[in-house]
Amino acid sequence: MELTRKQTHAQTDAVSVTMPHRPRLKWTTLAMHATIIFFCLIVLAPIAWVLLLSVKSIPDAYSGTLWPKAFDFTHYYYVITEIPTIWQNMWNSVVVTLSVVFITTTIASLAGYALVHLRLSFGWVVVTIFVMSLFFPTRIVSIIGIFQLQDTVGLINTLPGLILPYVTLNLALSTLIMRGVFQGISHEIAESAKMDGAGAMRIFFQIMLPLIANGLVVVVIVNFVTCWGEFLLAATLTNDQSVRTLPVVLATTFGGIGQWAWPRLAAMYILVITPGILVFAAAQRWYMKGLQEGALKF
Amino acid sequence: MASTTLSPAVARAHARRRTLRENINWLFVIPALIFFIGYSLYPIIQVFAISFTDYKYLNVTDPTHFIGLQNYIDALQDVKFQQGIWRAVYFTILFLPGVIFIPLFVAILVDRVKNRRLATIYRVILLIPAVIPGPMIFILWRWMYDYEIGPINVILVDTLHLFTFRNAPQWVGDSPLSIPAIAMMEWWWGLGYHTMFFLAGLASIPHEMTEAARVDGANEWNLFWKVTLPRLRPIMLILVVLRFGTAMAVIEEFIIMGGLNSAMPTYTWTVYMWHTAFSLGSWPQGYAAAMGWLGALSMLAVVAFLFWVFRDQDSK
Repeated sequence: MELTRKQTHAQTDAVSVTMPHRPRLKWTTLAMHATIIFFCLIVLAPIAWVLLLSVKSIPDAYSGTLWPKAFDFTHYYYVITEIPTIWQNMWNSVVVTLSVVFITTTIASLAGYALVHLRLSFGWVVVTIFVMSLFFPTRIVSIIGIFQLQDTVGLINTLPGLILPYVTLNLALSTLIMRGVFQGISHEIAESAKMDGAGAMRIFFQIMLPLIANGLVVVVIVNFVTCWGEFLLAATLTNDQSVRTLPVVLATTFGGIGQWAWPRLAAMYILVITPGILVFAAAQRWYMKGLQEGALKF
Repeated sequence: MASTTLSPAVARAHARRRTLRENINWLFVIPALIFFIGYSLYPIIQVFAISFTDYKYLNVTDPTHFIGLQNYIDALQDVKFQQGIWRAVYFTILFLPGVIFIPLFVAILVDRVKNRRLATIYRVILLIPAVIPGPMIFILWRWMYDYEIGPINVILVDTLHLFTFRNAPQWVGDSPLSIPAIAMMEWWWGLGYHTMFFLAGLASIPHEMTEAARVDGANEWNLFWKVTLPRLRPIMLILVVLRFGTAMAVIEEFIIMGGLNSAMPTYTWTVYMWHTAFSLGSWPQGYAAAMGWLGALSMLAVVAFLFWVFRDQDSK
């Protein structure tokens, strides 16, 4: 088996080497790669600039030269030790984000599963309303109502007051993504498990969960990114620095001197965006697969 | 089908069990529905209700009155609101082409990369901005556009010597460039994400189709117009409609870049609405609610129009 495959490989290689138009193709390929790399550099340049700013010495940061004369790596240490609320803000970000990611992913995949594999007579109504909410400026129109609701139940300036509305930010999208992923799983798998006497819960956890792992990664990342940096609701529902999340503190801070000198802000910025990029880099393979499996379907 | 051979009593028991089963199955959807109704549907309806009143959040002494369509009439005559809508339209017109055609171009290139490892590396790099939260993107570009230390002006002045620090472009703040500058930032942010959409569409084009066209003597240009573009049409239409909606309702970038200052060109209808509801005067939220619904309704009208135009063309 192994041998024959190798042989056919060798054959196709031999054929492609003798193809007459090979050299002409090379030139266009080169231009193509150069163009793609150009776009990649445009994407990377701003991030590289902040990274560089975060290790510039303070005079260099204000002199406006791109490459610093002197490096200063102490800004990170300064930020985590000298800014009084930073640990509290970071803790708020972590608590809010993890709660929302967990709740949204769980309820969106349960709903997506039921909408595809359990026969619900009015399931299409739910799907229609969720799709419509994507075309409606839900966030802008609902914000006054959300504020009044949280005010009535006494959740202004609290972390649960942020977590509850955050769940709905991507709920419709997450449910539709999971629905797309479940549509890629054949009904026979669920049916045959049902024949064996498995209940809906067991089918979900033992049979479906491993099959939807890639889609889950997409939903987790989408929700992580939204919550980790959410600004509008946070600025509306909190006004106390100690319950704010880290990105809101950054957004309401302008570069200046002392505590908020530019390189220190940049160091704080790098600390904020790194977790997301690390999570993405680690889960990249499943994320790409999940996108193909159904996340980009509808 | 089986019920025809069963006695009526047994059939009824079966049917009852089936409805029970279905009701239990709804338990899977109910958590999502509770959140959706509680924090999306109910607030929207609540906002609709107070848009017909003179409700002011900070005014606790006077009772709230029902005033009919007065808020809507006031908003339509409010110069700041009209101006805000036009600013959002201007932003949308600048934003849409760049967020559709640049990713389309990049996707067509990346789709042709044969080396799988390189293709993955390109995709990952392009997607990095998509995993940085929106507000963090806006903070980053507020620094990029900074007049003195922003690298864009530093390059224009120190490296290329096109300007001096007296006449260098003012990118954000009180400047006619600020809306175009924000649109450009959005192109950068959306590049990777939208490229992935188009790559998914390109992957669904059968290889035989392009090969057959090539054999028939079609060059790359013809191939793009005759084969690729028609196949990508559905994805493009959905993206245009979705992005139109997000672009008209953009708010955070304008608040972070321009602040809550009605003199700034970034003071769009969304910023005005939020400013009215949460910091102007005694927080006239009834009036702000009417502005929110007016903006939403005018957007929905355009979305419906877009769907109608596109469907009309598809049936031809």
